[in-house]
Amino acid sequence: MNDDSAVDNSITPEEDIILDFRHVTKKFPGVTALSDVSFQIRRGEIHGLCGENGAGKSTLMKILSGVYPWGTYEGQVFCEGQELKLENRSIRQAIETGIAIVYQELTLVPGMTVGENVFLGKEPLEAGAINWDKLYADTQQLLTKYKLDIHPQAIVKNLGVGKMQMTEIAKALSENARILILDEPTSALAEAEIEKLMEILRTLKEHGVTCIYITHKLNEFFAITDSITVLRDGHVITTQPTPSLTVEKLVSYMVGREMTERFPESHRQPGEVILEVEDLHAADPEESAREVLKGVNLTLRKGEVLGIAGLMGSGRTELAMTIFGEYGKITQGTVKLDGRVIDVKSSREAMMQGLSLVPEDRKRHGLVLIQSILRNISLPNLDQFASWFRIDDNAELKASRTFAQSLAIKAPNLEVQCNTLSGGNQQKVVISKWLMSSPKVLILDDPTRGIDVGAKYEIYKLINDLTAQGIAIIMISSDLEEVLGMSDRVMVMHAGRSAGTLDIAEATQERIMTLATGIA
Amino acid sequence: MNTNSKNGSAQDVAATLVKQFRTNIQTYAIIVAMIFIWILFSLVTNGLYLSPQNISNLIRQITVTAFLSVGMVLIIVTGNIDLSVGKVAGFVSVIVAQLQANIWYRLFPEQDLLAAILSVIAGLAAGTLIGAFQGYIVSYLAVPSFIVTLGAQWAFNGGILLVTQGKTIPANQPYFSWIGQGYLNPTGGWIAAAVVIALLFYAMFNSRQKKLRYGFELGPLYLDVLKTVMYSVMIVIYVAVVNSFNGVQIPVLLLAISAAVMAYVSNNTRFGRYAYAIGGNREAARLSGVNIKKNVFTIFVVMGLLCGVSGVVLASYIGYGTVAAGGGYELDAIASCILGGTSTLGGEGTVFGAMIGSLIMASITNGLQILNVPASWQYVVKGAVLVLAVYMDVYFKKNR
Repeated sequence: MNDDSAVDNSITPEEDIILDFRHVTKKFPGVTALSDVSFQIRRGEIHGLCGENGAGKSTLMKILSGVYPWGTYEGQVFCEGQELKLENRSIRQAIETGIAIVYQELTLVPGMTVGENVFLGKEPLEAGAINWDKLYADTQQLLTKYKLDIHPQAIVKNLGVGKMQMTEIAKALSENARILILDEPTSALAEAEIEKLMEILRTLKEHGVTCIYITHKLNEFFAITDSITVLRDGHVITTQPTPSLTVEKLVSYMVGREMTERFPESHRQPGEVILEVEDLHAADPEESAREVLKGVNLTLRKGEVLGIAGLMGSGRTELAMTIFGEYGKITQGTVKLDGRVIDVKSSREAMMQGLSLVPEDRKRHGLVLIQSILRNISLPNLDQFASWFRIDDNAELKASRTFAQSLAIKAPNLEVQCNTLSGGNQQKVVISKWLMSSPKVLILDDPTRGIDVGAKYEIYKLINDLTAQGIAIIMISSDLEEVLGMSDRVMVMHAGRSAGTLDIAEATQERIMTLATGIA
Repeated sequence: MNTNSKNGSAQDVAATLVKQFRTNIQTYAIIVAMIFIWILFSLVTNGLYLSPQNISNLIRQITVTAFLSVGMVLIIVTGNIDLSVGKVAGFVSVIVAQLQANIWYRLFPEQDLLAAILSVIAGLAAGTLIGAFQGYIVSYLAVPSFIVTLGAQWAFNGGILLVTQGKTIPANQPYFSWIGQGYLNPTGGWIAAAVVIALLFYAMFNSRQKKLRYGFELGPLYLDVLKTVMYSVMIVIYVAVVNSFNGVQIPVLLLAISAAVMAYVSNNTRFGRYAYAIGGNREAARLSGVNIKKNVFTIFVVMGLLCGVSGVVLASYIGYGTVAAGGGYELDAIASCILGGTSTLGGEGTVFGAMIGSLIMASITNGLQILNVPASWQYVVKGAVLVLAVYMDVYFKKNR
């Protein structure tokens, strides 16, 4: 296990710097991703790394993990006084140096136990066979040491996201990681789990583990970090102790201008009711006896934003998918569009009725990542350009460009593959593809998840533009401030039911949480 | 970005060409590999390899399995596989031979042309029906294509035995034989070449005109012209070479038409686009309103039709239906697709690449045959080349 005392007597006694970036510059053809980046991280601190998408955070992390090996960048990185010289993609070498990354997407084997995952690739052996007793005992010891509340023999796929993440952290620590990089660790976590993660990080700090913490949720920086480095366009803007910063200051460092409002001003005038959902019940498609929606009611007006709040598992996403015709059977209740009962059985039928859905998980459900922006935007809309034997590729390009430009997708051209785009730009591509079908009702399922402040603001502005055109919007979100900042009314879901609908004037975080947790 | 290179210097031209080359490196790499193989074999065979007769043979050799590759590309692109194509083509070939030998002359005595036409129709219909049946099970009953088509491979192997009763059936009436063995006369060959070249130029200028009408920036004209001229030169060389032997072979002409149609379909129709989207991300395609079942079903129907074409050409080319017909062709077809850059994970692959892949496989086999390398070693070399080629692809992708 990690021997902390040995670590403490290291080379730089006067100032205890564990990681030191000196004039790091990384250039790609046509872009400078990092430009003369210099900052230091002290041993045992939690260091926040903050910046919009494309600011250079991921590039920096890729240098630390050997994706961009030593020699492909200018400048130097010192880890405990030694220059870091990683070979190409040598994650192993990074781990041996003591650097481990907990990725946004978890990298566990779902069918294996916690212990098997933690010791994957380094199982303790006895006479050539795996010594299971030792493996589980060591796992238990590790979990106890860092106060990780999981059972070593639990199967990973049966754990919640929060506990999966703990397993991931345990795995990193089992490698004697002294520097732990957490990239967007809370993007999939519920409030209670986030609190738990914060506790774990504090325990790690007590044990002398240094953390680099990356997130788009600014309040987390203030809850947990000791100091923050802000990156913008590949430059270090500042490194400061957290107490000397405020949210406003941080945002202005990130975007390079004073951001007075997180949400753009809007003057919405909702019109007549366009969508009505009455007492909707729907079953799990995998298990038709289990009802996931147990009575949802909502009304939506033209030019209105209806926010939907609720905890994970409350049925928010299932509601969106059911209305869109891509979830289980509707067992009871009706969906009315323009006063007519509609019964959509597939996304295609939903589109023809004038419904669009921007799904929650843009990489899994929203985009064909290996295809170009153009192909992605036009995919659901090919009927507009095609006869049975031919797609008019010029018309396709023209229409796609119009949307790409009006949504300000940042890319040299539309032939760029989607997997090279930043999260915010990917989301804009998904929104473009769903706007091209000129919907009457647009359902946005967590539209700003994992994207930066600047891109969020642009999406909010877009939502306002769309409502001004009379489009009715349902916006599902885990971010309560966003729900409160953008909605005209808020429908709160709890356990598959609509727990209540609040007018924006009467809605507060407390009232929403009371409804969402089922206390009311 | 094209403004400075439009009327630019030789340097600009070179830079643009290099850029073009980089973006299509995979396609070019495989063409370069093929040329390398040709040069190599032509050196060790003292030029015999590149003689008109051998070129003519080599290209005809690929046709039967290349029809299968043409369909296989889209099957693999959607993330499926079809292991039955060899035996289905074989089954079609013995049915057609049986019809030619034992049925038509009783129903329509002395009507050889009618008989040949009916044979073709029957062969294509049989292939299409088989494709539809398998497609139905794969897409609507959701049985994995690997299983369905493996089962079908065995089933149609049995079917071949049933139809032939273990005997060889002749199918060598002149009209019918023309499909697999016939030639265009030299004038016909030149006319066909002229038509294709005229179409290429028309398509190029037409596309530029349309782009202008939409107000899009155009790539440099010389680049488009250069490309079209290059294709034209290749066509002219091919026709000149085969004309100095016997002329353009009918099966090669049929293959060129099938490949061109499928290449067009895969790029320029909803059907083709949906196939790539399904292979790239099935869930995203489904939520984008793509009817996955219908699309996959249709792809299997098209595959069946191409098995039909392949079977008819096979029966006509070898002149009889045999018990061994079509054995192992499915693996040649799959290997050609993979060599030509089709991703086993789905979502990527082109018909053009698969054709080059077929040509490479045939070039190697043919060269080894001329050198009198025993069949045993031919297999060893073929296997090694496939694995090596895919390794190189993986290597270059990783180090790009």
